[in-house]
Amino acid sequence: MRTETGVEVRVETFLRAQFSISPRDSGFAWDIDIFERGYVDSVGVVELLAFLAREFGVEVPEEDLLSDEFSTVAGIARIIRRLRAASGRPA
Amino acid sequence: MSEVRLVGTLDPNFAWDGARLYEAQDFRVGSPVPRELRGAAVAVTREHDGGWRILRDPLGLNKLFWAESAEAILVAARPRKLVEAGCSFDDIRAIPRGCVLDFVPREPQPVEHSLRAEAWFSAHESAGPSVEQIAGQIEATLRGYLTALATRYHAAPVFVCLSGGLDSSGIAVLAREHFADPVAVSFDLDRGRGAPSEDRRTAERLARDLGLAFLDVTVGEHALFEALDVVLVEGIDWRDFNVHAALVNAALASAIARAAAAHARRSPVLVLTGDLANEFLVDYQPETYRDATYYDLPALAPSALRTSLVHGLDTCHREVGVFAAWGLHVVQPYAAAVDSYLALPETFLKLEDRKPRLSRAIFGTRLPEYVYRRTKVRAQVGGPKSDGGVLAACADRGLDAVWLRRRFAELHRVGDPSRLDRFIRAGRYRAAVPHRHGVN
Repeated sequence: MRTETGVEVRVETFLRAQFSISPRDSGFAWDIDIFERGYVDSVGVVELLAFLAREFGVEVPEEDLLSDEFSTVAGIARIIRRLRAASGRPA
Repeated sequence: MSEVRLVGTLDPNFAWDGARLYEAQDFRVGSPVPRELRGAAVAVTREHDGGWRILRDPLGLNKLFWAESAEAILVAARPRKLVEAGCSFDDIRAIPRGCVLDFVPREPQPVEHSLRAEAWFSAHESAGPSVEQIAGQIEATLRGYLTALATRYHAAPVFVCLSGGLDSSGIAVLAREHFADPVAVSFDLDRGRGAPSEDRRTAERLARDLGLAFLDVTVGEHALFEALDVVLVEGIDWRDFNVHAALVNAALASAIARAAAAHARRSPVLVLTGDLANEFLVDYQPETYRDATYYDLPALAPSALRTSLVHGLDTCHREVGVFAAWGLHVVQPYAAAVDSYLALPETFLKLEDRKPRLSRAIFGTRLPEYVYRRTKVRAQVGGPKSDGGVLAACADRGLDAVWLRRRFAELHRVGDPSRLDRFIRAGRYRAAVPHRHGVN
């Protein structure tokens, strides 16, 4: 069963694996800006979008993609839940 | 009541519906929504009753941005125009690509119509048309499009940007077949090597074989970088791969404008390019220079990468915008055949020789064998050692990604360059549909 924070965990797991973020990296958290902190670059965000489509079956609309919300793990998780709820699917 | 106001001019339209080029009146309020539209198009039209139509083509080849002022929705083809009109860069949005917005009088919300083809990014099964059939469709589309273009612009001076690669060579063949006296234009960067690049030699040979006049554009680094601010503003991008290509285009545009000025002008000057085939065929790769990697690509399967590259056409105006700065009208014929290109299956996109294979199926013996057999060289890279091109020239001068971003930010009055991450992300501009306020 998915927990309340299941989406965040899945996104974090992908980011850590894809962008070599060490488990010992104390700067990484769900509420930091993953772009400004340099964890994800302009190439990486394309890979992140592909992951979200594959993992959650969502296409992130442009207004969400360019929003401040899309800059953190917590924000990305909220967007995914919203998109899945709008399409009648639980996160 | 907030009105719509166009700031500056728009880029030219070269869109067609599969049979004819669109006319300006096709984009007026009340005209049928042009759902078959392919190629570059943008329109902001007003009717006497206060209605407006705003349109942008489905690939986002032509650009359109907007921001609100106290009295109006300001729209412009370049964000810099809106900044100069007093808008904050953070408030600027793109009109979404593939969008027709109809503002009717006394209604704040526009009626939205989509021009995007759902089939473009859906999975293509092996039961679809064969590659040979798709090549036939592309050939027929290109022939029809060039015929329509030549009919409309029969008096236009025509130039073809000829790198010597397959895409531009194909366009050179078409130009030769449809226009009276097209001129092939070839770029080379003089970095003191004392010999022309392989690209230049091939372009010159092909122009000779096709019977095309030839315009040699060899520039030094000083002349190349003179256009850097123009490239950043008109190209609407700071990312190195696009800036490098745009610098090449600026050098070509400057030379073409000088050459065209010698002729009496009764028609716009057309510049035909082989753009977009690389995106459609996923024909990009990272480049290495002095142990650093440039032009990195997302690690995706070919069809997903193609989707990403085609979405990315929304951003950067390195061709249309940069040539427009010299008053030249860019035509990208491969855009007309986008449906056929995007029907190519994943299995084909995985083939190492997909580009020459498809080009051969399209152009056959109309292109000489030595063009098919060439190893691809990017114009901005310059040669197999990567040391003769714009990439190397930029890297050697310290014009790296950070510098380009900072300069773009300065030119658009953005205090914190990191804010630009909110303007382009994943190859897409920050986009939204404008609404009129105070309308009731």
